[in-house]
Amino acid sequence: MKGIKDKVAIIGMGCTKFGENWDMSFDDLIIDAVYEAYEDAGIGPDDIDAVWMGSYWSNLPAPSQPLATTLKLDYKPVTRLENMCATASDALRNAVYGVASGACDIALAVGGEKLKDSGYSGLPTDDLAMGLVSTAPNTFRSRNFTAPSHFAMMATRYFERYGLSPEEGREMLAKIMVKNHRNGMLSPKAHFRMPISVELVLKAPMIAWPLGLFDCCGVSDGAAAAIVVRADMAKSFRPDPVRIKACQIAVGPSEGYLNPNHDWTMVKETWVAGQKAYEEAGIKDPRAEISMAEVHDCFSITEGVIYEDLVFSPRGGMREDIEAGTFELGGELPVNMDGGLKCFGHPIGATGLRMTYELYKQLQEKAGDRQVKNPEIGLSHNLGGTPGGCTISVNIIGH
Amino acid sequence: MTAIEKPVPVVNPWAKPFWDAANREKLVFQHCNACSKNIFYPRIACPDCFSDDLEWIEASGKGRVYTYTVVESNAPSAFVDDMPYVVAIVKLAEGIQLLSNIVGCDPHSVVCEMPVEVVFERLNNEFTLPKFRPI
Repeated sequence: MKGIKDKVAIIGMGCTKFGENWDMSFDDLIIDAVYEAYEDAGIGPDDIDAVWMGSYWSNLPAPSQPLATTLKLDYKPVTRLENMCATASDALRNAVYGVASGACDIALAVGGEKLKDSGYSGLPTDDLAMGLVSTAPNTFRSRNFTAPSHFAMMATRYFERYGLSPEEGREMLAKIMVKNHRNGMLSPKAHFRMPISVELVLKAPMIAWPLGLFDCCGVSDGAAAAIVVRADMAKSFRPDPVRIKACQIAVGPSEGYLNPNHDWTMVKETWVAGQKAYEEAGIKDPRAEISMAEVHDCFSITEGVIYEDLVFSPRGGMREDIEAGTFELGGELPVNMDGGLKCFGHPIGATGLRMTYELYKQLQEKAGDRQVKNPEIGLSHNLGGTPGGCTISVNIIGH
Repeated sequence: MTAIEKPVPVVNPWAKPFWDAANREKLVFQHCNACSKNIFYPRIACPDCFSDDLEWIEASGKGRVYTYTVVESNAPSAFVDDMPYVVAIVKLAEGIQLLSNIVGCDPHSVVCEMPVEVVFERLNNEFTLPKFRPI
């Protein structure tokens, strides 16, 4: 069967503290993440065969050369890549493919972003950002949108589809973010380590109806890195490497805004990437077989819909599972143990590898107060773009 | 700080009839004479059957809100002064859908499935934008 299951293993990872890292440059963040990974793996820069480096907004326009210089990776193959908010997950996928292909034995994946000194709170809106990609079709599918408003339209339709009043729907979604903050309080490297309550979420200023301030993740500075090797070499580096089970990406046709058949209560790309990853990893019953997941909670509704698209919950079933505590740290299938984008923070080009970092530490039983009991398989889900047109990465790792 | 100007449509040759009609306060879309499909946004050929036998027809302008949001917060943007404003997907009676704004009402009175009709807002000397208001 085609696929990369068990061909590649992670032997080292690093992740900076996420947050307002005013005193650190993009290069500083990358160095900290990569040197933590070197130390964890017990190797150094000379051992690296190739590097895939992800960044969305930062360090343009020629970051592969500064990266090579910063990390003193003279004359090594270093590639910069970008896949919107799924950038770091795609950096890992490329490094894994590099090793699985036999082209190299030891590869480094690193992602970083420096956003807090951009001059904006949040991300630039479409009228600014779309200046980069102004095309005639984009004239019809964008303009006075903000990032939260794309996702808010999913919440509005979800409430309509399943007969939830705005009050019922908003309270259901608030519980997702309360969970993520409760978990993130236990993460020393998280950006927003504060408890929040359902009441606070519901009373917060509105951003894009029905999503208020605490339904939305912020943006952060941070970096994360992984070192991957041929699976048959892995135990020569450490006794507890973590194996790659699947790396899948699904990129949609970006026509959800204009295609009358597009369903705004789901993200089809997530469903497709999930199904392909389950096939690659040999997973038949995701809810039973997956021990834990780190998913893209850029907004509360995003995480809710992910439960259904990844078949953790049946269609329309998110409310029942949220009420039952299914995805809490001590629940049946813990989700966002480290606090997720909402609490841990979201430096765009680093997030996917931050998710892998948490799964990796959990699988090695090194997650401290957040430790999930006897985890076997961890899934990360990373969303780039918006409902109606996005890149979804689903990576699965395990013993 | 320099004021940020609202973006204007990027027009390619096969979309020009849409913008010309909007200036005359008409909402038009393409229809494929080969497979009878209604098409939006403007294309050079039918996305289903690839025929280039397309004609422009006028829409009823009547539709319903499929989903929406009310934008109440924004980064620096040309649209900050418009807040709160409604961004919505409107499904037209003809089976096509547009991304537009719902105007002429309290933004918080908008709901899914609300019937709406087209209304035209002049952006500048060159462009008029089709928007929607409750019926």
